[in-house]
Amino acid sequence: MTKLRFILSLQDRLSGLPQDDVEERLSFYSEMIEDRMEEGFSEEEAVSAVGSVDEIAAQIIADIPLTKIAKEKIKPKRRLKVWEIVLLVLGSPIWLSLLIAAFAVGLSLYASLWVVIISLWAVFGSMIAVALYCVAVGMGFAFAGNSLTGIAMIGAGLVCAGLSVFLFFGCRVATKGLLLLAKKTVSGIKNSFTKKEEA
Amino acid sequence: MDVQLKRGLLDVCVLAAIKDEDSYGYKIIKDMKPYIELSESTLYTILKRLETADMLTVCTVEHGGRLRKYYRITDNGLKRIESFKDEWKEILSIYQFVTKEENGNDQA
Repeated sequence: MTKLRFILSLQDRLSGLPQDDVEERLSFYSEMIEDRMEEGFSEEEAVSAVGSVDEIAAQIIADIPLTKIAKEKIKPKRRLKVWEIVLLVLGSPIWLSLLIAAFAVGLSLYASLWVVIISLWAVFGSMIAVALYCVAVGMGFAFAGNSLTGIAMIGAGLVCAGLSVFLFFGCRVATKGLLLLAKKTVSGIKNSFTKKEEA
Repeated sequence: MDVQLKRGLLDVCVLAAIKDEDSYGYKIIKDMKPYIELSESTLYTILKRLETADMLTVCTVEHGGRLRKYYRITDNGLKRIESFKDEWKEILSIYQFVTKEENGNDQA
């Protein structure tokens, strides 16, 4: 691959990202290739030493924060005409509320992931609380002379304690999975921003 | 190596690579190669982070009909290297403690 083709295809893959970021990265890689060529490597070797376009693009996209990518997308490419501004203002009750709704849906989806995690751990916590409570009350019954009820309560408490151990492992696995899902959601949104530009 | 640990080490390595004289991207990678392998993308991220943290400054210099970016260490960067040396003494003593524990277990 020639240097020009490398730079062009990297630029293509990064379209939709903030312009100044992209330019800085491209000049960084181009400098790297030129320095290698100056040292005696062939153009082909110098380009392949830098790495594959796919890998580099993936890492760059992961590096740039989502908020910055979204801001770049919203920024208009040219100055708006007067009638467009008038339309935007007049239409704002519609598009603004739609935009807010879309944002709210996204946010609540993300939040619900966390809510699931929190509630899982809350169940775990209450299981432990119930176990402790049952054992304590059971002892109280046993000392008060009501030994059968007391033993039953203590038994129930121990069962809860046993279950909570299983729950702990379950919660841990679920939390890991959900966190991964949350991470994937964010990177999916990022990718959708950059892909639209190519089409 | 632990990602967090390596990240911290790489920052200091890049600072050390520009400590004595200003340097440019490819030379930094070349100078570090015998000690620690570093990809271009990682170097970019590190340089950016160090620039934001005010540990180095960037200047563009003409070289053979094209532009090349040179990185110069700042006082903050020099301080970072010094504090790394102090931290390293702590890490060494932790290492000694950890391996002492192991040796003790072997004998037991």
